[in-house]
Amino acid sequence: MKHYEVEILDAKTREKLCFLDKVEPQATIAEIKNLFTKTHPQWYPARQSLRLDPKGRSLKDEDILQSLPVGTTATFYFRDLGAQISWVTVFLTEYAGPLLIYLLFYFRVPFLYGPRYDFTASRHAVVHLACACHSFHYIKRLLETLFVHRFSHGTMPLRNIFKNCTYYWGFAAWMAYYINHPLYTPPAYGDEQVKLALAVFLFCQLGNFSIHVALRNLRPAGSKTRKIPYPTRNPFTWLFLLVSCPNYTYEVGSWIGFTIMTQCLPVALFSLVGFVQMAIWAQGKHRSYLREFRDYPPLRSPIVPFLL
Amino acid sequence: MAGCSLRPHVHWAQRHHELYLRVELSDVKNPDVSIADNVLRFRAQGHGAKGDNIYEFQIEFLEPVEPKPVCRVTQRQLNITVQKKESNWWERLTKQEKRPLFLAPDFDRWLDESDAEMELKEKEEEKINKMKIESRVPKDPFKHLKKGYLIMYNLVQFLGFSWIFVNMTVRLFILGKDSFYDTFHTIADMMYFCQTLALMEILNSLIGLVRSPLIPAVIQVFGRNFILFVVLGSLEEMQSRAVVFFLFYFWSIIELFRYPYYMLSCMGIEWKPLTWLRYTSWIPLYPLGGLAEAVCLIQSIPIFSETGKFSLGLPNPLNVTIQFSFLLQMYLIALFLGLFVNFRYLYKQRKQHLGPKKRKMK
Repeated sequence: MKHYEVEILDAKTREKLCFLDKVEPQATIAEIKNLFTKTHPQWYPARQSLRLDPKGRSLKDEDILQSLPVGTTATFYFRDLGAQISWVTVFLTEYAGPLLIYLLFYFRVPFLYGPRYDFTASRHAVVHLACACHSFHYIKRLLETLFVHRFSHGTMPLRNIFKNCTYYWGFAAWMAYYINHPLYTPPAYGDEQVKLALAVFLFCQLGNFSIHVALRNLRPAGSKTRKIPYPTRNPFTWLFLLVSCPNYTYEVGSWIGFTIMTQCLPVALFSLVGFVQMAIWAQGKHRSYLREFRDYPPLRSPIVPFLL
Repeated sequence: MAGCSLRPHVHWAQRHHELYLRVELSDVKNPDVSIADNVLRFRAQGHGAKGDNIYEFQIEFLEPVEPKPVCRVTQRQLNITVQKKESNWWERLTKQEKRPLFLAPDFDRWLDESDAEMELKEKEEEKINKMKIESRVPKDPFKHLKKGYLIMYNLVQFLGFSWIFVNMTVRLFILGKDSFYDTFHTIADMMYFCQTLALMEILNSLIGLVRSPLIPAVIQVFGRNFILFVVLGSLEEMQSRAVVFFLFYFWSIIELFRYPYYMLSCMGIEWKPLTWLRYTSWIPLYPLGGLAEAVCLIQSIPIFSETGKFSLGLPNPLNVTIQFSFLLQMYLIALFLGLFVNFRYLYKQRKQHLGPKKRKMK
């Protein structure tokens, strides 16, 4: 069996970084990355981006050396992706923050409001309900991260954790401050408004969870396969008929429900910013579905049925 | 004509609309070539088949030709081009049926009729392609209307800012430093008018009427209007501050160069000194203008803080507090960022318009 030789050059300087001889033709990129780490221990595999062309796209870990368009001496170009952190770590941190921060405001911990309000409770029922909903939302997210989601990438760049946490924690503090404020004004239409909002919120929470479970079941454990998601017997998943990313649709719905429940402008702004971000992600996902699958259902829109 | 006149070798070829005659004589000086009564008469001193001599010949053309032969002399031969009066293919060159002995076909330039037709077709296609490329900019039925509108817009703005500038200058001379304090009172209406009209600039860029990019225009118009209407317009106290004088002065000087430049460029005229001014005056004036705007903001922040204007306190149905003075502090930071963006854009523009003059290689 012919062995391959692999040389790895820096994509920017073209400097020769590593030369591997006697590489099996069946070796995967992941194995090559491991071999590379042996000579350069500071670049662990998650940090490595290997490409055939310095300006081309990264090779996937599952790609097999033999199947690539290279001769018996393969040349790969290396780019350092920077310090990496696992998705699970990022998610847990960015969701635990809002959960705790909101509770700090809910219990009116000292130095947040004036001293005469320390550790007092709000006299509005809706404030207690809002705390329950907000906490439920983030607990659900934490549990999903631990038990439901199957991530296609193991890691993301380290700087993302600072960016994401600032966003989530910052907005959580801003919202929680006003909702739990002693001078908080409850919704204008009273109980009706709150009941409607709660219904919307719960409906969307269930929907969001159903989609996450359906997506999990699409992908067997440990694999990174991609398939078109379809509606299942669960009625909440029927939104797949109209939308590519119904999990985002339900998420926006939950936050709209929360906005109506609390009638708080910062919550509305958070929902808006979240919607914009999720719409961008949904467009991207929709486009990659279209590119990858010839028979992708044409009726589907990225995030809002028929509109967006 | 003497009987012992020598004939040069003459080779001929034709196209649909012209005739080529190549006379095999070298070192020809002062050839005598003319056409009369449809007869070409040639006479010249040169070196031919029979040595250095005077050579001459005559040809009566088969069909009418233009009496203006074009002669090109090279060291080795003479090329005569004759235009046919009517474009068609001749079966022979001369009126007489018998070919003259000195005349022979020019195989270098010879084409038979079908090939010549193809050559013509190719030339036509080339011309059409060239025209297509040139007319790729579609004929715009509104072109004149658009031009007229832009010229009028720039003219009106120029007049407005000139009025402001002249008024302020005159008042400065008459009243000295005292004019600083009631600048707003006298000038504001015109400034309101001009800056409201400036919203059109955003529209022009948006609909593609003008080629300049959208973002710098938006930054400038919104930035200025925010200072003018919100910071100055809504606070009586700010209106009697000296900084207003400098702010309006810097704004108007920049516009004094910008609008005439645009107006002239719409009309296709370029006045180099004005171009230089337009692309150079911003270097001192933009920072100064930015500084004046910053001073306005800094002076207004305490006032907004005290009066609580545009601010919202708890309790309120939206459950939010808005402190306008805080927003202004954020805006101050954004001001410098916006100035920086515009600076970069203007610098790039300057290099483009005033850049290296030696573009053509020798």
